[in-house]
Amino acid sequence: MMLIASSTASDIVRVVWSSILATVGVSVLFSGAAVGLIRAGELRRTNHGSAATALTAAAVVALLICVAAAVYGVILVGQKS
Amino acid sequence: MSVDVILVIVVATALAFDFTNGFHDTANVVATSISTRAIGPRRAIAIASVLNFVGAFISLKVADTVGQGFVDTHAVTSTVVYAGLLGAITWNLMTWYVGLPSSSSHALIGGLVGSVIAAKGWSAASGSGILDKLIVPAVVAPLVAFAAAWLSVIFVYRIVRSVRPGGVSRGFKLGQVVSGGMLALAHGTNDAQKTMGLITLALVASGKLSASHFHVPIWVVIAAATAISLGTFSGGWRIIKTMGTKIISMDAAQGFVAQTAGAAVILAASSAGYPLSTTHVITGGIAGAGAGKRLSAVRWGVAREIVTAWVLTLPCAAAVAAVAYSVVHLFGSGDLGPIVLSVVLVIALTAVFFKARGGRAHGPTPHKEPSQA
Repeated sequence: MMLIASSTASDIVRVVWSSILATVGVSVLFSGAAVGLIRAGELRRTNHGSAATALTAAAVVALLICVAAAVYGVILVGQKS
Repeated sequence: MSVDVILVIVVATALAFDFTNGFHDTANVVATSISTRAIGPRRAIAIASVLNFVGAFISLKVADTVGQGFVDTHAVTSTVVYAGLLGAITWNLMTWYVGLPSSSSHALIGGLVGSVIAAKGWSAASGSGILDKLIVPAVVAPLVAFAAAWLSVIFVYRIVRSVRPGGVSRGFKLGQVVSGGMLALAHGTNDAQKTMGLITLALVASGKLSASHFHVPIWVVIAAATAISLGTFSGGWRIIKTMGTKIISMDAAQGFVAQTAGAAVILAASSAGYPLSTTHVITGGIAGAGAGKRLSAVRWGVAREIVTAWVLTLPCAAAVAAVAYSVVHLFGSGDLGPIVLSVVLVIALTAVFFKARGGRAHGPTPHKEPSQA
């Protein structure tokens, strides 16, 4: 006999994996972006302009993905109601 | 006419409960940002209160669960809802007095269940609903927040170890403005809905709404959002100050991860309609972020207190609410019972307020708030 309903089990599993994925994903991307921007600053100071620009662009993309993930999460919560 | 008077008392009490919920949870939402100096207290509170308000409009699934998931709506009367609220408030006061970190959400639902059982018997409560939508998520959510934060902190430290700490810290402090905002938004989404569900249940019980078409009226959404937002805005400066300075010492990266984990879990649970103890989830995130850096950094004693409070809150709030219902019932089915008990409650709250101002040691400490949701 199931202790909890199967719908509850699937909902719980979804909450678990989506929470962990969102937290780890956003944290990794954000720290990558922070490192990228710091390194880009260092490269700029040593006259490696093109590498600095590429790193800055990658960091901005990572930050945009973080923002998009947050917005998407809020939209999903709203759609479910 | 008599039912309307009780309904007014129920709505006012529920909104007052919502206000205190925001008041006390302000500390939980903003303390991490303040302790890492990512943002000043005034600005943090202003942002949190606005996002609490906005968050209350995002979803209504938790309100549906509170209104329909735990008790038979046909068995509920305004008096039952009132006694449930009274039980929750009384239990919160009792736990505050002895310094036990109880959850307002669990007290609220426990109170409702205890009250309906006292009124209509065990069959009026949904055992499967309580297990599936309250107990299982209540156990899982803080553990998930812990695991997510723990794992993330390990990854983050590996990524940032090769660059200078000052730059990383500045970056994460900026990130905390956003992650703290998301946490406030998530808090508003989950916590304000509990009051909405309860008020809607009272409206159904009094015949103002149909039980077969259970929906939360917009004025209830606005009232609940406003109450929690105002509570957050006026939120206990003393508590915030305490939490901002005495909470587990953490760096900006840990603060960012803890807030992100808390927001992610609360939003995911809200989408599934689970009413969580947001305080327990946030505490799980903070503990996970601490453990990811150093296991001994975590105050395991706090975790033990939370488990104790968690186990006790549901049955005890239910028992207190059952007693409250019996007392209300002594005065008959009219307005007299709720009016008399409301007067007693106001007197008790005033006494507690003045006693707390008198400098007793039993007051709020970090993780020991009178009304932790």
